[in-house]
Amino acid sequence: MNYQMDAVAERKLRRVQKKGLHLFYSLFRLVILLSIGFIIIYPLIYTVVTSLQSRYAFLNSTRVWIPTEFAIAENYIAAFTSMDYLRSLWSTCKNELLSAALEIASCALVAYGLARFEFKWKKLYIGILFFTILVPDMMVLIPRMLNYSHLDFFGIGGLFQKLTGIDLRPNIIDTPWAFWLPSFFGVGLRSGILIYIYMQFFKGLPQELEEAAWVDGAGPLRTFLSIALPSSGVVILTVTVFAMIWHWNDSLLSGMYLSNSFPLARQVARLPETLGSKYHIILSARDPQGIGYLMAGCVLFIVPMLVVYMIVQRWFIESIDRVGITG
Amino acid sequence: MKRTKKNRGIRELKSRYGYLFTTHWIFGIVVFFALPLVQSIIFSFSKIEIIGGGVNIHLVGLENYKQILFSDPDYETWISGSLTSYLYSLPLIILLSMALALILNQKFKGRLFFRALYFLPVIISTGAVMNLIFTTTGTDMANMGVSEAYSANMVSVDDIVNLLDIQGEVANYITVTISKIFDLVWSCGIQIVLFLAGLQSVPATLFEASRVEGATKWEEFWFITFPMLSRVTLLVAVFTMVELITSERTTLIKRVYAMMRTGNYDETSAMMWFYFLICGAIMAFLIFLYNRFLMKRWE
Repeated sequence: MNYQMDAVAERKLRRVQKKGLHLFYSLFRLVILLSIGFIIIYPLIYTVVTSLQSRYAFLNSTRVWIPTEFAIAENYIAAFTSMDYLRSLWSTCKNELLSAALEIASCALVAYGLARFEFKWKKLYIGILFFTILVPDMMVLIPRMLNYSHLDFFGIGGLFQKLTGIDLRPNIIDTPWAFWLPSFFGVGLRSGILIYIYMQFFKGLPQELEEAAWVDGAGPLRTFLSIALPSSGVVILTVTVFAMIWHWNDSLLSGMYLSNSFPLARQVARLPETLGSKYHIILSARDPQGIGYLMAGCVLFIVPMLVVYMIVQRWFIESIDRVGITG
Repeated sequence: MKRTKKNRGIRELKSRYGYLFTTHWIFGIVVFFALPLVQSIIFSFSKIEIIGGGVNIHLVGLENYKQILFSDPDYETWISGSLTSYLYSLPLIILLSMALALILNQKFKGRLFFRALYFLPVIISTGAVMNLIFTTTGTDMANMGVSEAYSANMVSVDDIVNLLDIQGEVANYITVTISKIFDLVWSCGIQIVLFLAGLQSVPATLFEASRVEGATKWEEFWFITFPMLSRVTLLVAVFTMVELITSERTTLIKRVYAMMRTGNYDETSAMMWFYFLICGAIMAFLIFLYNRFLMKRWE
């Protein structure tokens, strides 16, 4: 009897202990998540608040977080005009986002080929894929740029010119083709990673449906388009988000390939200089004069992507759970 | 002819389709990747003159490399600077993002909110804007918006380090880590996403089995999660390394881009190749160690 009582009490105690431990752990987790979350949100809030304030408010160090002296219109108009916002936005859409779309499509094809079919050189191909992930873009930037001014495939155009004197090699610097072509061929901005993500997903996709389509006489492209693609919305979303963001943020390629119509990322990167020459101010870290303009520019740059992220965020977060990268 | 065509098995047919799906990519690799890569090696060994539309290249051997290594006073400092910061950050980024992914993978209230928050750096961190925000608010963030008189009264990292009597490199490492915490957390975005995606591919049956056997959470992590994540970890490591060495915020890369824009192609190529070879060697060594000592144990 006594023994039984003890056992019951002990079990109860253990349950309470477990609950307490769990509660403690939950609290601990919350604290960690909140403090690191703060690190993430801090620069953003700082940017937004500063972009709303006038320069005098910036000098007042007793108020940091709550804007009191607004200069919204002044800051944003200055940033908007110095960045040439609408034209730059158009340039971003045309050069960067369209090439992201091309990349999303062509990488899917490559990844499907690598994931679904067995062929002799597959291992070599996958080796090449990893090599392209490893080698930074900047290694091939200079030759690419020089080649783009006389676009040529395997020297055929050059030979033709030597023989006939007619130069068929187009100059694609300063045209969107400099962005579209590599993306179309699946070697655009960080295509390697995108192909890899696709590939991992396609590998995990059940093969039975596709087999059935094969038996019914569908060709490979048809199988891909009407069987594999419709069931891979998850991975397409993930890849789309990555490709769009990387292209949106890219100021390196556009800095090299475009010399007159700058996309937004480039405009933001050179905003300190533009502001400096326009308003005759020198921007330094603690200089209050143009910092509101500068931060307004940053906000204008981030907002479109942020809006897109807000819209797809729910699906994107869920999709991460289902893409499944095994390495 | 016709007979062989008919007898061709589905396997061979499929292998052809494999090539079919990847032709354009291989074409792109050759034209936009392999050839430029070779060209840039050649550039690094030659002097380049741009005349009219054409490029005049004549080989000069190791001269560019001699130039950057022995005549350029800054190059070596830049290289060692970026290498140290890269070796500092790499393990921390991997550990931090793995820990955060493990936490975000658990089921708790507000999980979706925190995930949305933690993915934010993915959107912003790769860009020029981050560069701008961090350089303009950098000094401010180090003080966390707290005025100096205020922060003097608080316990600082240095105090804790002194109190615990940690010395030399370790103390240095801790101080540097804390002061770079913004940088580190902001570099974790995609890594967290990759780890989270990787965590989903760990079969749930393994956890069930271990729970039946009475394994603790700690054992579960070390014997199931960590080994199952090993390949994702490698991917994350490689990705992070590439990100770190090409980050526009390192002085070397900044300089290289500036030189590129002014048309100094030969020396720039040499600079990049030398830098990349050193980083590549370190990368290869780390991957070798990882394969040798960790992956082997699990296989």
